[in-house]
Amino acid sequence: MISSGRIAHHRNYSELMRQHDKEVRLKRVLRVFTYFLIILFLLILLLIVLRWEGKQPHKSNPQSTENLNRKSDFKRGIGLRV
Amino acid sequence: MLSEDEIRQEYAILEQSGRNPEAFGELYEKYYDKIFHFIYRQTDDEDLTADLCSQTFLNALKNCQRFEFRGVPVSSWFYRIAANEVNKHYRKEKKMRVFSIEETRVRELIEMSDDVMDEELIQRLLNYLKELPTDMLEVLELRFFEDRDFGEIAFILNITESGAKMRTYRALDRLRKNFNLSIKYDGKK
Repeated sequence: MISSGRIAHHRNYSELMRQHDKEVRLKRVLRVFTYFLIILFLLILLLIVLRWEGKQPHKSNPQSTENLNRKSDFKRGIGLRV
Repeated sequence: MLSEDEIRQEYAILEQSGRNPEAFGELYEKYYDKIFHFIYRQTDDEDLTADLCSQTFLNALKNCQRFEFRGVPVSSWFYRIAANEVNKHYRKEKKMRVFSIEETRVRELIEMSDDVMDEELIQRLLNYLKELPTDMLEVLELRFFEDRDFGEIAFILNITESGAKMRTYRALDRLRKNFNLSIKYDGKK
């Protein structure tokens, strides 16, 4: 059986508070670092997408031009004649 | 045993500790010795007990915002964390589990039965208790040495209340068969 005096020797609330503060601080730093990593990852992803888009050659779309022509024809009244 | 009002008051302190950790000091001072004894009985090592006890209260403080009122005293939650810490320690170290039961506790146990106190019987019972399976020793310790009711034992060991009763019954049955000790569930004669 361990005596109350021996137990009192181990009882230290300020030490517990110190450890708790340390853990809370560490958790906060870890959270900030995780957010930083997520934002960094998204930025890198955005840059990659922008660069990839910049490298893509501009393609002409004949079908869409034809459609536009038909629309303009329609506006001019050509479409009504058909 | 604590009244429902006292239990709710302790819960209020625990809730407050989430916002202001300084408030936790009251519960720490109140239960440190009990938790220390509880762990010490399962480790028989003063320094290790001090470490596990600190870890128990640190975990409690860290998770106090998540704790909900379940009708059991706050101390039962501390016992549960302590029991988990002890289990974790034994799993990690892969050591044989130690259960040290003081002679005075065994005397108290014999006093609960009708039997006459006999030094030889005490020694035999002490040796026999050391050989009992851990799950039985856990319930005996909580029921008779820590004076916890079955609801609390169930909460601490994360088992059902009927499971806690069954384990206690089996342990007492063994004592009855081997030592003719007739101790009832509730410790009454």
